[in-house]
Amino acid sequence: MFAVETLNLAKRYGKTDALRGLNFTVNEGEIMVILGPNGSGKTTLLMILCTILKPTSGTAKVVGIDVVEEGTKVREVMGIAFQEARGFWRHKPSSILRFHASMFDIDPAKRQDLIERTMKDLELWESRDKMFMHLSGGQAKRLETAKVLIQQPKLAIFDEPTSQVDLRGKRKIWDKIRELRDQGSTIIVATNEVREAEYLADRVTILHEGNRVVCDTIPKLKDAIAGGDIVEVDFEDPVPEKLVQDLNGLGGEVSLLPESNQLRAKVSKAEDWVPRMTSASYVAGAKIASIRITEPSLDDVFLHFTGKALADQP
Amino acid sequence: MSQFSRLVRIARTDFSYFFRTKWLMAVLISLSLSDMLVVGLVYTRLIPASTAIGSSYFQFLVPGIVVVGLFSAATDTGRRIWLALREGVIQYYLTLPIRTRGLVGAYIISGGLGGIVYSGALLIIAYLSLILFKAPIPIQGILYALILIPFLFVLSTGIAGLAAFFASVSRRGEMYWVYAQALQVSMVTISTVFYPAQTIAQYLPAPIATIAEYNPLSLAAGVLRNSAFGGNALETSALASLLATSLPLATIGALAYWIILRTIRLKGKP
Ligand SMILES: Nc1ncnc2c1ncn2[C@@H]1O[C@H](COP(=O)(O)OP(=O)(O)OP(=O)(O)O)[C@@H](O)[C@H]1O
Ligand SMILES: [Mg+2]
Repeated sequence: MFAVETLNLAKRYGKTDALRGLNFTVNEGEIMVILGPNGSGKTTLLMILCTILKPTSGTAKVVGIDVVEEGTKVREVMGIAFQEARGFWRHKPSSILRFHASMFDIDPAKRQDLIERTMKDLELWESRDKMFMHLSGGQAKRLETAKVLIQQPKLAIFDEPTSQVDLRGKRKIWDKIRELRDQGSTIIVATNEVREAEYLADRVTILHEGNRVVCDTIPKLKDAIAGGDIVEVDFEDPVPEKLVQDLNGLGGEVSLLPESNQLRAKVSKAEDWVPRMTSASYVAGAKIASIRITEPSLDDVFLHFTGKALADQP
Repeated sequence: MSQFSRLVRIARTDFSYFFRTKWLMAVLISLSLSDMLVVGLVYTRLIPASTAIGSSYFQFLVPGIVVVGLFSAATDTGRRIWLALREGVIQYYLTLPIRTRGLVGAYIISGGLGGIVYSGALLIIAYLSLILFKAPIPIQGILYALILIPFLFVLSTGIAGLAAFFASVSRRGEMYWVYAQALQVSMVTISTVFYPAQTIAQYLPAPIATIAEYNPLSLAAGVLRNSAFGGNALETSALASLLATSLPLATIGALAYWIILRTIRLKGKP
């Protein structure tokens, strides 16, 4: 059985198709990262899974339970940390967590300890006397995460858990999410940050305009792109068109980045390609300023599958 | 935790927001007390005792103030729903393992609690101030007041329902505050809270007098005057009318809140 399974799932808001017939599965005990730019339908999908939103058509099941037919049962086994933190505005963090713990039957004997420990882990302890409405954006997001962590649901959903959170906080949250998986929860994380995906994902689903583009482990996704290495070359002056053509003849895929003196090449073996490239450049009289050799990133994967760069989506 | 204890827990949390808003409490209490003491005393000198109002205007007014207190506290439900929509807390509620009707019930109950707790406190203050001003309170009146609690609770849920209805019509807009004002003015003005039915019938058109008569606030004020303060036996017909006017309002409110939840489920926002 899948922890999550959707079939032809669609959601339409007025004239906007947020999800268009999505088929999507998550295995038990894995961290599935949903990577997609703004407006690709990540939040819509998660809202349907946590039963807040009703799909327009199609079905979704959480641990085999239909989210529309048996919403209450689904809510017993899942927890969600919202993209925008939501809390009782005049409550302090610990009483928000206490309320949440009681709703999900967390053993009262362990509750206080668990809450204190989680707040300390997420560096919320210093803000324990502030009302929710006085927390900073990042603190409120940490509290969202804390709710799900103390709940330890079978299915834990995090919608952009580290947006607004500082770098140290991001690391903490990521480590806690992995810990939660190691304790047996299935996890879905939605994000538009490649780094977050690289750090957390057992598998990644790339979502684009309401549909799944591809879903696999990160190494397999990277392998799927033609060539193994990426070479970026900076030239001192604009690159002559002729040189680009010549380089394309050397094997691999070469593209000139717009408005720059930079070339980017996807090649199977950088150590073979680079010497040939340098001599061709020398012949063409183009002076090289620097050369960088990297593995493809998820950004490249995204670019490859959608034809658009994740970083500069509108 | 059972569905019911989750409902109670949510009702309690929402109810606590009535007291957490300190400025609101301060304003409410000072209004109620100044109505009761200052206005009551000044007007008592101004308005001679008559058969319509009983022994003194003060004694006529005090039960009315208790009912106005109940009204204000119960309508706070609308403000809380409005805020919970704005802050997205309702979406959070929708992720909790409780049925939709449980959520609706929780809000109606917490509205009922607000009205009964606040007006209960005013009732005690009213008894004390009557003692202070050496007005007689029949002992059986206190017993009647205790019996009245469930009826006043139902009345509160009705008023809370009306407020929920207005919160749902205004959704996220500022219009809610206009509706709340209009509700307050119309329900309290067109009632026998501040003046006796005879006076209304004398000066205002008959339909208005009828509305005032069947206004649940008038009915509640009447029962309090007659029994809780007057010591006369409770009249079943008055209690029945009170229930008959309050329950439909509570139902409207429950329906309105349920529609808000359904809209969020369909459109993703209220
Ligand atoms: N309540 C709503 N009413 C109307 N349209 C909506 C609503 N919520 C989302 N949309 C639209 O649906 C599409 C998908 O939105 P969604 O919030 O699911 O995207 P997302 O991937 O979570 O984006 P982000 O990275 O910005 O959080 C967008 O075009 C958005 O404008
Ligand atoms: Mg989103």
